[in-house]
Amino acid sequence: MNRIASRAGALILLAVILLGGFGFFLVEYLTEADDWVILSGSPHVYTGGNIGCGVVVDRDGILLLDTRDDRVYSNVSVLRQATVHWLGDRYGNIFAPALPYYASELAGFDMLNGVYNYADSVGVAGLTLSSQVQTAALDAMGSYKGTVAVINYETGQLLCAVTTPTYDPDAIPDLENDSTGQYEGLYVNRFTMSTYIPGSIFKIVTLAAALEEIPDITEQTFTCTGSYVIGNEEITCEGAHWDQNLKSAFCNSCNCAFAQIALQLGAEKLEGYVAQFGVVDAIAFDGVTTATGNFEATDSGDLNVAWSSIGQHKDQINPCAFLTFMGAVANDGTVTNPYLVEEITVGNTETYEAKTKTGKRIMSAETAKILQEYLQNNVLTKYGADNFPGLTVGAKTGTGEVGGDKKPNAMLAGYVADSKYPLAFLVCVEDAGYGKTICMPIATQVLEACKQALS
Amino acid sequence: MAEWILQLQSLRDTYMNVLIGVLRYTAPILAAILLFRCMKPLLTFRREPEIWAWLCLTDGQKLPITHWESVIGRSKRSDIVVDAPEVSKSHGVLTRYDDGSWTITDADSAEGILVNGKKTKIHALSASDVISIGSVEMTLQPITPRQEQKLAQLRTKGSSFLSSLCNILLLTLLQLLCAFVFLMNPDQKEAQSVLIGFGGMMIMQWMLFLFYACIRRTSFEVETLAFFLCTIGMAVIATVAPEESIKQLIAMGIGLAAFLLVGWSLRDLERVKKIRYLAGIAGVGFLLITLVFGETYYGARNWLVIGSLSLQPSELSKVCFVFMGASTMDRLMKKRNLILFIAYSVLICGCLALMNDFGTALIFFCAFLVIAYLRSGSVGTVGLAITALAFAGVVALKIAPHALQRFASWRHIWEDPLGAGYQQTRALMCMASGGFFGVGPGRGWMKNVFAADSDVVIASVCEEWGLILTILLILAVVGLALFTVRSAAVGRSSFYTIGGCTAAAIMLVQTVLNALGTVDVLPLTGVTFPFLSNGGSSMICSWGLLAFIKASDTRQNASFAVRLQKKGGGKNE
Repeated sequence: MNRIASRAGALILLAVILLGGFGFFLVEYLTEADDWVILSGSPHVYTGGNIGCGVVVDRDGILLLDTRDDRVYSNVSVLRQATVHWLGDRYGNIFAPALPYYASELAGFDMLNGVYNYADSVGVAGLTLSSQVQTAALDAMGSYKGTVAVINYETGQLLCAVTTPTYDPDAIPDLENDSTGQYEGLYVNRFTMSTYIPGSIFKIVTLAAALEEIPDITEQTFTCTGSYVIGNEEITCEGAHWDQNLKSAFCNSCNCAFAQIALQLGAEKLEGYVAQFGVVDAIAFDGVTTATGNFEATDSGDLNVAWSSIGQHKDQINPCAFLTFMGAVANDGTVTNPYLVEEITVGNTETYEAKTKTGKRIMSAETAKILQEYLQNNVLTKYGADNFPGLTVGAKTGTGEVGGDKKPNAMLAGYVADSKYPLAFLVCVEDAGYGKTICMPIATQVLEACKQALS
Repeated sequence: MAEWILQLQSLRDTYMNVLIGVLRYTAPILAAILLFRCMKPLLTFRREPEIWAWLCLTDGQKLPITHWESVIGRSKRSDIVVDAPEVSKSHGVLTRYDDGSWTITDADSAEGILVNGKKTKIHALSASDVISIGSVEMTLQPITPRQEQKLAQLRTKGSSFLSSLCNILLLTLLQLLCAFVFLMNPDQKEAQSVLIGFGGMMIMQWMLFLFYACIRRTSFEVETLAFFLCTIGMAVIATVAPEESIKQLIAMGIGLAAFLLVGWSLRDLERVKKIRYLAGIAGVGFLLITLVFGETYYGARNWLVIGSLSLQPSELSKVCFVFMGASTMDRLMKKRNLILFIAYSVLICGCLALMNDFGTALIFFCAFLVIAYLRSGSVGTVGLAITALAFAGVVALKIAPHALQRFASWRHIWEDPLGAGYQQTRALMCMASGGFFGVGPGRGWMKNVFAADSDVVIASVCEEWGLILTILLILAVVGLALFTVRSAAVGRSSFYTIGGCTAAAIMLVQTVLNALGTVDVLPLTGVTFPFLSNGGSSMICSWGLLAFIKASDTRQNASFAVRLQKKGGGKNE
């Protein structure tokens, strides 16, 4: 009997396997449960293929979307159109990753309580967007394709980011039989997913690089005869600007002057600064990763260096990334990462709260100050301060030539200097024309709406 | 009027929310207290050595005999070591019977055993008999009835009536809360079934408890643990398949009957020796019937469908296998017994291979391993067994493509969440959704997944009742197993010890395969969780196995399988 009794201990081995195995699972549980819980198809989180466990409101608490019961959108058509690219549609045609990214927070998931919440309270995600500004921006864009966005450069909140063309998810247009091309790229959120040839707004980047790199750049004089010969070819302006200092060359958006500046900097330095400023980098926030821009100046000759410095050649910028760069200029040289989701609450519990992510300094404060002064000078002397009543605005227009039979991209990048309205903005309009004529009225309307929204 | 109805509905919703809000904390707390109260006596009872007789050698030496079955031999691991060259390693077995009588049996020794100078295979001993083992002569001196009575008094008692009553009241409270929540649920369409399921279970456990009280058995921990597992199982059924509550209740009733029947048969070892052969025939019979008349589901031929009833007779064979595997020490020491057992195992294995049921085969194999180790313990036997496992494994994998597929998706479930990994990814998702305290009874989603109340049952429990309760369920099974290990030290007969350990091993292996399979730590094999999973055959089997565990309990007034000592005399009840 003694022998059998002592051998009975072998059962302990089985018990250890059971407890050890389950212990192993518990470790996995503690580290991976938040991934498991948002498994696509989880009925606690999704309805059909869509997130289905929360309500989305704008910064003022206006309902944008109730994801339960086949997604109920805002009852205002224009607001539905202005926000569908952030909220996603019913059929998964639009890639809107921000809500699924916070699926577990929206479902109210925490390790201790799972997705349980008392009385099945619904998760409420508050966005940084303002319905008022979104609808104003959509209205301002009219029938143009493109994007207009406004960011608070101190906090990173996206106050406005509209993309066109758009549509009403409650009244889907007949896309199959449409031959007008008005719905081309309908499902693309141009603000995050597109890239544009920037044109002259890229001169802000070149100017910043020159200010950082060349000590006497502000004292130099640049002569423009209407064209500047490099090798066998030339860079042209629409007219001769003659002698001008840096400030007026920027204000005149003088291609010849910037060609000279670019050659002083050289391709490698220019590329280095583009990288330092993060202008063509992808930006990530709230589950969104933006498209990567492009800048290639080395190995392509002086002429292309010059074209690159004025936003042509192979330059491509993503609107979100460029707006973030503009925010850094306005914020005295320090980058503030943009974000869309302000907070998520389930019942009385806050499951997520956005934190302002202040990134690294990408240029000296002095450089940023000079850029701000020059940008404001543009508005004062060129674009007209009366475009922005009650606001101190600095801006730069751009006209990105895209070639073919398309009209150029009209671009406008700028910021508001008033401490009450710490806003940077960007307007990109495709197949449009001059930046000043096309974009300025849009910016006027959008900034006016911002002013009201923030007051 | 409509407004009034709306008001009433919202009032009920509020009650429901409060109820679930409270229950999700009370259930694990109640369960934890219950588990602690049941496990503490099971895992801490004193195992005092008891002397039942003395062997008096001619040189005046007196060797105490501390078991009812003692091996005499030269080997140092014998219970009574007689170190003389002509004594075999395991020479003979001394056996005490319920009535206080003793026998000595020859264990196929080289020299044989002489009693009063006559060679004997088995001999009922009296006080004057002189036993000769080789050149060593000895007499047996059993303890007096008075001493025996003293032993019974000193022996650790099973839990008191009051303590057991307290446990069962706690469990009843938990059951009432469960039933109440399910009945309150406005979506409950099978309220009647659920009510009968929970109510019937409560009645059964109280009847068993009162029956125990009548026969002066007060220890109820083992049964309480089983009923606790059944309760949660019933709660899962109320969510997943409420219409099957009554079916499960009936299975539980049959299971209890099997528990009492097996327990009764184990009470008398002479009776059990006869029943053992019947059980052996039944065990193979169940498998053969399945093979001939069975239906094939998911590649495994292990279902017997009679009308609307579907059975898994292989579950019942497990209990029979334990009967065949266990043996009293005097028989255990004989080669014939071992050969018979191996032959029987081969027969069973053959049936299982034809049935193509990988999970069941694995459980039988583990049970075989445990029995083989307990019986012989020689490295050779275990080696043989492992060779057999490898062989069986290869065959099983070759003949069971669905098992192979499960192995292929093991630890890769997230790569195919809609295909091979469907059940387990859903299980993990639901378990994570439940958190530590669950989303509340009836509010889970796991019910939509295939086998949510059987193969992946712990995911359903975890989602609705929380991770803590799930852990408690596993601890309950571990507790039963550890209790069996502890009891082994004071086991009356190797039959009880081997039987108890094998039964506990089967429960443990099933829990390992079920729980760890669900959470993808092991491949999913489609094995039931003892007492918890929905399934009649499995429920009956679990109770049958529990009888073996109960029988190995030697505490005073604890187990019905062990007779009571009558006051004032050597007669046993």
